[in-house]
Amino acid sequence: MDSHKEAQPKGDFECQLCGLTAPYSYYGQKPPNTHSVVLLEESYVMKDPFIPDKDKFLILGSQCSLCNRRVCVGTECSLFYSKRFCLPCVNENLREFPLEIRQDLEKRKSHSKSHPSKKADART
Amino acid sequence: MPSSEKERRAKRRSRDPSPSRGQQGGCWDWSCPEMRRRLEELYFREQDYIRAGSEDSRQFWAFFGRLQRFQTLKAKGEPAVWAPPARADPSAAPGLAGLPREYDPCYRINLSVLSGDVEGLARGRRGGPRQGPGVPAEQRSQFRAALLHYLDFAQKQSFAKLAKLQRERAALPIAQYRDRLLRAVAQNQVVVVAGDTGCGKSTQVPQYLLAAGYSHVACTQPRRIACISLAKRVGFESLHQYGAEVGYQIRFESTRSPATKIVFLTEGLLLRQVQREPALPGYQVLIADEVHERHLHSDFLLGVLRRLLPARPDLKLVLMSATINIRLFAGYFGGAPVVQVPGRLFPITVVYQPIPQEEALAASGKPERLDPRPYLRVLQAIDHKYPPEERGDLLVFLSGVAEISAVLEVAQAYATHTQRWVVLPLHSTLSIAEQDKVFDMPPPGVRKCIVSTNIAETSVTIDGVRFVLDSGKVKELSYDPQAKLQRLQEFWISRASAEQRKGRAGRTGPGVCYRLYAESDYDAFAPYPVPEIQRVALDALVLQMKSMGLGDPRTFPFLEPPPQSSLETAVRYLREQGALDRAESLTPIGSLLAQLPVDVVIGKMLVLGALFGLAEPVLTMAAALSVQSPFLRPTRTNPDCATARRPLESPHGDPLTLLNTFNEWVQVKSERAGSSRKWCRLRGLEEHRLYEAANLRHQFQVLLRDHGLLEPVQGPRDSYARQSRHRERRELHRLRQRHEETGGRTRKVLRLQEGEAGSSSDEGASGTGPSGVDIQDVKFKLRHNVDELQAASGTALSSHQFALLKLVLCRGLYPQLAVPDQYNSCRKDSDQIFHTKNKQGIVLHPTCVFASSPELLQATEEKAEPGRSRGSQEGLSSRHQLLAFVSLLETNKPYLVNCLRAPALQALLLFSRALDTSADCTRLVADSWLELCVPDSGAALRLLSTALQLRAAWEGLLNRQLEGRRGEPGHRPDPREVATLRQGLLEFLQQKVQYSLRRLTALEKQNCYVGPQTVAAAPGLPGLFQGAEMTPDEEKGGYRVAEFLTYNCLASETDLYSDCLRSFWTCPHCALYMPFTPMERMSHESSCRPRPQEAPLEEAAESSAKATALQRPYHCDACERDFLFTSTEILRHRKQHQ
Ligand SMILES: [Zn+2]
Ligand SMILES: [Zn+2]
Repeated sequence: MDSHKEAQPKGDFECQLCGLTAPYSYYGQKPPNTHSVVLLEESYVMKDPFIPDKDKFLILGSQCSLCNRRVCVGTECSLFYSKRFCLPCVNENLREFPLEIRQDLEKRKSHSKSHPSKKADART
Repeated sequence: MPSSEKERRAKRRSRDPSPSRGQQGGCWDWSCPEMRRRLEELYFREQDYIRAGSEDSRQFWAFFGRLQRFQTLKAKGEPAVWAPPARADPSAAPGLAGLPREYDPCYRINLSVLSGDVEGLARGRRGGPRQGPGVPAEQRSQFRAALLHYLDFAQKQSFAKLAKLQRERAALPIAQYRDRLLRAVAQNQVVVVAGDTGCGKSTQVPQYLLAAGYSHVACTQPRRIACISLAKRVGFESLHQYGAEVGYQIRFESTRSPATKIVFLTEGLLLRQVQREPALPGYQVLIADEVHERHLHSDFLLGVLRRLLPARPDLKLVLMSATINIRLFAGYFGGAPVVQVPGRLFPITVVYQPIPQEEALAASGKPERLDPRPYLRVLQAIDHKYPPEERGDLLVFLSGVAEISAVLEVAQAYATHTQRWVVLPLHSTLSIAEQDKVFDMPPPGVRKCIVSTNIAETSVTIDGVRFVLDSGKVKELSYDPQAKLQRLQEFWISRASAEQRKGRAGRTGPGVCYRLYAESDYDAFAPYPVPEIQRVALDALVLQMKSMGLGDPRTFPFLEPPPQSSLETAVRYLREQGALDRAESLTPIGSLLAQLPVDVVIGKMLVLGALFGLAEPVLTMAAALSVQSPFLRPTRTNPDCATARRPLESPHGDPLTLLNTFNEWVQVKSERAGSSRKWCRLRGLEEHRLYEAANLRHQFQVLLRDHGLLEPVQGPRDSYARQSRHRERRELHRLRQRHEETGGRTRKVLRLQEGEAGSSSDEGASGTGPSGVDIQDVKFKLRHNVDELQAASGTALSSHQFALLKLVLCRGLYPQLAVPDQYNSCRKDSDQIFHTKNKQGIVLHPTCVFASSPELLQATEEKAEPGRSRGSQEGLSSRHQLLAFVSLLETNKPYLVNCLRAPALQALLLFSRALDTSADCTRLVADSWLELCVPDSGAALRLLSTALQLRAAWEGLLNRQLEGRRGEPGHRPDPREVATLRQGLLEFLQQKVQYSLRRLTALEKQNCYVGPQTVAAAPGLPGLFQGAEMTPDEEKGGYRVAEFLTYNCLASETDLYSDCLRSFWTCPHCALYMPFTPMERMSHESSCRPRPQEAPLEEAAESSAKATALQRPYHCDACERDFLFTSTEILRHRKQHQ
């Protein structure tokens, strides 16, 4: 029996905050062919395009547990602290989060100010 | 991670007690392989996300080591990450209510692992938790936590790549023009996208079109390598993970499947598709990339597409070009809209450093040697001006290989002295491994200096180049249509090329471009390079146009028309070669040749070889002659190569040397798997080209089969053989997949002194996967049936087959013949010169076997009888030889490339387009340039009339073979007739007749013919030349006996009346003895000749095309017969004679 079914694209995942778009092949907490790994939130998942092994998956994003926005897992858009929170929601409810997370956000903010996005390399 | 480092780390760990060790009191050692193995047994099982022994598990342990060190550094006393608190169920409480109050990094990981013990617990199977072979609970949970961190880290890493990729795509200049482009494509049939290096058009435009809903997109590229790399890149960027939506198709490889939405392919390949399906029904959008490069195929493709567009109003065409001569393209397509995209280059400083007058003058004494000093000065200037910490490599553009070695020599001496440079050559005749070195990295503080031909202008892109040094020169092939000669000449480059070269310095940061010419020189350069169509031979193009039904090539609306003379030469050549008839329509052989992607002469060999059952050796030779020569230039440092090559050399000529080489290589490959690379290296052979030849050979084989010129193969008959072949293939597939997963070649760090003579380090390194597998060998075995190839290449040809093979080659190459100069025997070996009909004083290419052994060509081998008077007998021999050659190349001298020797008299009688005779046929002129004198008139007549019959028979069989190739076996040539012809040709070749051979002088050529005669009546000699109609030749005088033969048209004082003189003669067939004129004699002889002897039926049946793939023609010298045998049958047969 062939347990390695080819994943079919289900649609495009688009982050409602940064616009990152990528096709996803699975939505849920137990991506196919990953056996022992489970996700702690319902996530949009694709096959990891950067690893040749076809069983490796990549979590693209999920829904904010407060506002239900679809957000990517990028640190500019959301964070996970036992649940997914989009950054706007985190900022609104900053006090509810532990100090470590607040410090972390603060650090990131000053960091992104002093280091604008890196230059991309050119290709024809 | 290098194992030595691993060990060092392990030692360090065992010295410094880590917190985790401390807690355990020393009974648990994380670095102990046995401990690790126990954990792997629990967590990295076959069904787990990470498997023991995989690359992934290695990475995990490396990560684990880093995590341990991080924990050690972290303030002591804090709770270690190792021990995660009991997890609260995150879904229990809605919103913010359930957030854990006490912070722990574990809460930030959004996945979990059910493994080993845990899984057992969770499912309650197999009788509860496994205790594991002695892993304490604490270590288990530490390991589990680390595993979660690792998985989270891997997720972050991949996601960061994804985000970066998307950022980069959005930042490309072309991204801003996406909507404009899509609108233009929607509203117009043809759109031109003009953008310079770095704007992103090649990778993005195809993706935009796909995303906008177009499918069946084809994107043409001038270079095969670009097809592969673009398909890879676009596949990667579009994150296609559901099979092959993005594919490529090149000459020997295709990743195309029904799912493919976009395919990158070469221009030539798309043209072949038009040839088969003129409306290209399979495509919705065509993108023609890099049209500004103006390759022959690209120009022609545009012409074909322009004609096609009205018939396919639904087809979209996007032309992509650098911002060069945009108006030409837009105008050609009726004013197509242009989307202009700015390039993205960093600023480049241009430094003009023309070579000082006095230096240039001093160097002009030896014009063949380039003066390297100005180049060295630039290296010094860079060292002087830029500190070594500022990275940036130098790319030097030179015109050719000789120039490269001149600069290489001094630059390497300088590099050795300063230790600040690694100097590497780059040109297309280097081995692939040597070419690949330019992508490796120099050690810190050292710059790469890449000394290149214009290959680095567009074909090869090297990152990290900051300095460009431009000689301003290029060597290009130019074509002389009159002499049908390719010339490699040095030219000034165009302004467009100069800008392209300059741009190579600004790809990754600001750069500097040194130009070894003045700004005024630059201004005087031509604006664009000369399009290829205006400087190459157009035979193949015209042939292809004819087969596409494009009408008269002279009136075809080209983008920019080629010179009329080139077209005329091509048409004439194709007529001479028999591909076009007098009305310039395709002949049957012509239409077959049009479908073979090779030079006309090589295509002809293939067809001719098939007739005599010589398909196998001819396939090999045709393929080997169509790729770049596998013989690398002999290097001074490796004289052993020449010795090692010697056994491969054939005294008959280069094509046969290639045949030997290929066959030997196949034997090595099939007998000693994996050792062929070394075998090649010892002989100075570029193995890659042999692989290419093998691929091409296979393609020819398929084409010949498709055209009914070869029988289809039969697979192995018994199921055991089939199964074992199947098993073998599965194993090969697995090897290839493993290779691809590990990514193939990685960049290495160069050693200082790299590239210096003697230190080349390509000891089989490149192309070898981490497992030591020769991936080229794996691919070769996947693509070819090695047993079949081995059988085809393992049997020695009989002397008869060999003679026929040479004849076939010679007929294919005709009229590319050269005659040795009459004084060659008095010249030094290296000064041997040759003449063709149109060109005098040609030398042999140094790689040619006759260049090292010129005695092979000498006709005067027969001992001159002592005392025999010279004079009228001078130059008589039965062994005069001609050279048939594949091509003529002019660099500093004109060279004959790939030569084969052939008996002059027989070759000329069999192949000349025009053969003119004197009345008694003792004087013959072939193609109005070579004179043959055969003093024995009887012999001359006999040979002539035999040649006439053989030619007629051969032509007839060939035509039947070409007509019958459409599948009806009834039309196949009668095997008996083939056998008879074989026999006749072999006998003809064995004729030993004394004759002289010389070129006519210009004056003689003028007064060669008697001209039209007043006596118009044909002599009433029925039956002459087997009833051929004799008509007076209106130009030359005399009588046309056959299309190629004009009798008695040569002017000469002595034979004015000879056609009336009768002498007594005995007919060898009927013994009739009476006086005949020469013509009467011929007439009698041809009518009296008994029916050609029928070859024994058995042999005829054997030579019919029923051969299985493993059978080979075999000539047994003991019983003097030819057979078709498999290798084992040959052995069995041989045993009979013992
Ligand atoms: Zn986002
Ligand atoms: Zn939210």
